[in-house]
Amino acid sequence: MDALIKNAKKGDHLAFAMLFKDHYPFLVKYLMKITMNPDTAEELAQETMAKCIQKIHLYNGQSKFSTWLVSIATNTYIDQCRKKKREKNWQGQEEIYRKLKWHFESRNEDWNDALEALGRLPEDVRIPIVLKHYYGYSYEEIGEWMKISPGTVKSRVHNGIKSVRKELNLSEETESHRFGRRTTK
Amino acid sequence: MKKQRVIVLDGEQQNKQDILAISEIQEGLNKMEQFPVYSPDLQWFEQMVLAEKKIIRKKLIRDLSIFFIVAIIILCGIMISLFQMPAVFIFLQIATTIFIAFYSGTRLLKKVKIG
Repeated sequence: MDALIKNAKKGDHLAFAMLFKDHYPFLVKYLMKITMNPDTAEELAQETMAKCIQKIHLYNGQSKFSTWLVSIATNTYIDQCRKKKREKNWQGQEEIYRKLKWHFESRNEDWNDALEALGRLPEDVRIPIVLKHYYGYSYEEIGEWMKISPGTVKSRVHNGIKSVRKELNLSEETESHRFGRRTTK
Repeated sequence: MKKQRVIVLDGEQQNKQDILAISEIQEGLNKMEQFPVYSPDLQWFEQMVLAEKKIIRKKLIRDLSIFFIVAIIILCGIMISLFQMPAVFIFLQIATTIFIAFYSGTRLLKKVKIG
């Protein structure tokens, strides 16, 4: 196990701080990908670090520290979504990626259609897609973190990709209509 | 009945489309990776860790206090009933035993039914 992690486990707050500083950009970027919202990502990153301090004794070093952080962050986001749904404070899928889109446009970067399609998916489908196809985690690992079976993860990823595919095809069709092209014989 | 024409994509084509969709997703997420993230300085993280540890300590002290107060109240109740009202003490012991047996039995039955 890393010396920093060992010291953090012993209660060294400087080791903790260094560990968090090293992993902060990775954590925020991961959370940004699953929440599609930079503000929520930063807020959840702080909550994740707080949980990490509480649970550091449970970290056994079998997986990378970043993987452990991802698992805590995923659970924190799922809990927050459940809480918001219970409080009926849910904004809905339509709204969440708007700020991110605005950020992209303000930096003169192209907003990807697939990101829009991903943002429209419910969080319980978006999370496994990001974890599987971007970070390369196994269905078993994702299932363990989300407290669902690997089979359910697989079917969610499959259905999610299918929805994204459909939405991308739809936009292609719309574009071809706009330019007066025929796509079907 | 009129026959409907259904275009069925073969597995390979579907697979290709899936790969295309996945690569588009990855491309979009890669762009997000280049998104600038402001990382606070080490001192900020240190303060955050210290503040969080303080909260954990406070919570532990509060939980332990509640635990000891409740334990003392229960123990006092038992002692008073044992020395002042033995009938109440015996009744409480029997009632507690029956409750525990009933509760464990129903939970076990539920587990067996689910299994």
